[in-house]
Amino acid sequence: MKLRFELAGAVSGIAIVCSAVAAQADVLFWSTQARPAEEAQAMREVVLSGSDIAVDYQPNETGPWLTRLQAESQAGSGTIGLLGSLHGDFAALDPAMLAPLDDLGLAASSETFNELSKLGTDTMKYIPWMQASYVMAANKKALPYLPEGADIDALTYDQLIEWSANVQEGEGRPLFGFPAGPKGLKHRFFQGYLYPSYTDGVVRTFASAEAEAAWEKFLELWEHTNPASTNFSFMQEQLLSDDAWIVFDHTSRLAQAFNERPDDFVAFPAPAGPTGRGFMPVLAGLAIPATAADMESSKAVLDYMMQPETQIATLRATNFFPVVEVELPDDLPPAVQATGAAIATMSAAEDANPGLLPAGLGDQGGEFDRVFVDTFERIVLARQPIRAVLDDQKTRLNDIMQETGAPCWAPDAASEGPCPVE
Amino acid sequence: MTAATDAPQIDARRSGRWLYIASVVLLCAWVLVPLYFLFINTLSSPETVNSFPKGFVPEFDFGSLRFFAGFQGMIDALYNSVLVAVLTMIMSILIGAPAGYALSRFDFRGKELFRMLILLTRAFPLPLLALPLAVLFIRVGLDDTVFGLALVHTTLAIPFAVLITFSLFSGIPIELEEAAWTLGCTRLGAFTKVVLPLILPGITASAIFAFVISWNEVFAAAVLTIENRTLPAFLLQSLAESPLHLKFAGGFILVVPALIFIFAVRKYLFAMWGIANR
Repeated sequence: MKLRFELAGAVSGIAIVCSAVAAQADVLFWSTQARPAEEAQAMREVVLSGSDIAVDYQPNETGPWLTRLQAESQAGSGTIGLLGSLHGDFAALDPAMLAPLDDLGLAASSETFNELSKLGTDTMKYIPWMQASYVMAANKKALPYLPEGADIDALTYDQLIEWSANVQEGEGRPLFGFPAGPKGLKHRFFQGYLYPSYTDGVVRTFASAEAEAAWEKFLELWEHTNPASTNFSFMQEQLLSDDAWIVFDHTSRLAQAFNERPDDFVAFPAPAGPTGRGFMPVLAGLAIPATAADMESSKAVLDYMMQPETQIATLRATNFFPVVEVELPDDLPPAVQATGAAIATMSAAEDANPGLLPAGLGDQGGEFDRVFVDTFERIVLARQPIRAVLDDQKTRLNDIMQETGAPCWAPDAASEGPCPVE
Repeated sequence: MTAATDAPQIDARRSGRWLYIASVVLLCAWVLVPLYFLFINTLSSPETVNSFPKGFVPEFDFGSLRFFAGFQGMIDALYNSVLVAVLTMIMSILIGAPAGYALSRFDFRGKELFRMLILLTRAFPLPLLALPLAVLFIRVGLDDTVFGLALVHTTLAIPFAVLITFSLFSGIPIELEEAAWTLGCTRLGAFTKVVLPLILPGITASAIFAFVISWNEVFAAAVLTIENRTLPAFLLQSLAESPLHLKFAGGFILVVPALIFIFAVRKYLFAMWGIANR
């Protein structure tokens, strides 16, 4: 009796499931950005609610995001209508998977970004969507420890080390925080900040004498770094929990600290080294897969995303800045105001040495990052001799450059053919 | 003489009891303390969650839970998750129990190999299988259906269902069945009237396993469902990068349905360990 009841239940269950597969006409927005619950919610309720066409916003981790996209591309039919992700993720795709977007007439105000978005082809494969960067942030309690004569808006790496040392001496524990955790963006610090500031390059100068000096400086800084940093991935958490007073991270990974306690923290530019104040942008883009079911609707939503009002709404929701010319309103969230000002100061600094995103690496982008992460782990965590590690990792880096044939990008001097590791 | 031997015996018995009680307390704390902290932090304001030391009394701030109450698509995802988990449970038992019965009662060529092969379904990581599966599902129309995802989860749960039921059936003497046959039962009748009631607790255990496997699986769910997302696929990926107070609240929401389910079936589970149905 019971068994029959269960069987009946199972059968009706399957029937319900099969009937529940109804046609859905919403444009599926398949994104790796704005993933945290609050940001996803803001994207749905604020940013996308103004669109004429209903949008189903689905944030995903990069793994499932990519697998699903590849599956639809191989099957030749798809439900994804719009893709949102970082430049690096698009660069890892076969450009043929993305529909050409030139006819939309949309573009960022930065020509560099527009060039990147072609992914090595001659048409735009994604439209630059929003940008961010990495800055420093500090608890105001750390400010009295600033070295004498140091200007927080124009720090050098030496001053940063001295400052962190002062804090450690005064408070009895190391309070510099570095996102060296499994999900932390530590490799970006080396690629976009430390290397450009000390060697005026990333690839060419990877194993240079200047690079050796840079790693020695970083080891000095590590002396005053909270050793739990190897578990830190979102420095806003450590700022709020008082585990770190001076930190480096992605602007959107600092936002929560500023928004929750705006009066307790300051944001300021990254420090400068002998070859200037290195920093790098983060670029996210929007694309349409070639398999999109309803190309017209997808394009309409993409167009909507690029409108100035939508870009400002996106800024409020995600702490990523617009890529088109917009009038920024005065009532932006505290995090946007603080980090926006820091980025502006950083870009306008006399010694600014802006880098570009790695380009032309294709699906080797992850391997490229791996080289820097491994170098960090071997030199800083395993205390292996700097010279030996650099010479060892250099061959791997060179293999990647040769295999992909990627030419140098700023701040490295331009190259004919693949960027050489010197 | 007797007094001299008795005293150490009583001592040993007493310390044995203490050891027993201490282990029970430790095991309970092992499970309950994290759940309790999850509960407290779910009902705390963001400031309290980030502060240290933590309080032991919840302050009943419903802000985090209210956030999720307004989170679009939560209820649908919860419904889908339950549906997938229940389907997985039913299918893995319907397929796994007969396989376990066959393995324990019949001798056939390649039996050992078959037992090995069953385990092989767990040998390949899902991120590797997800791409070809998704392509296949899109082509045959199973894509984005609760049934399709339940099929994948059933595959993951079957090794456990087969091996658990195999050892259960092996523990029941064939003589019991034979006795039923001599008294006029058919093979099926003997199975449902004699064997099934005896192994029901074991079936429940493997059903719980199937339920939990399905409930916890994220990768396949994220790739194979879009409109009909399950709760972990919907929530877990967002939670990893959310502020701490939302992580706690989201974790709480993910844990509670599974706890309710296990409570609902616990009497079948306890019966297996010789405790009468209570």
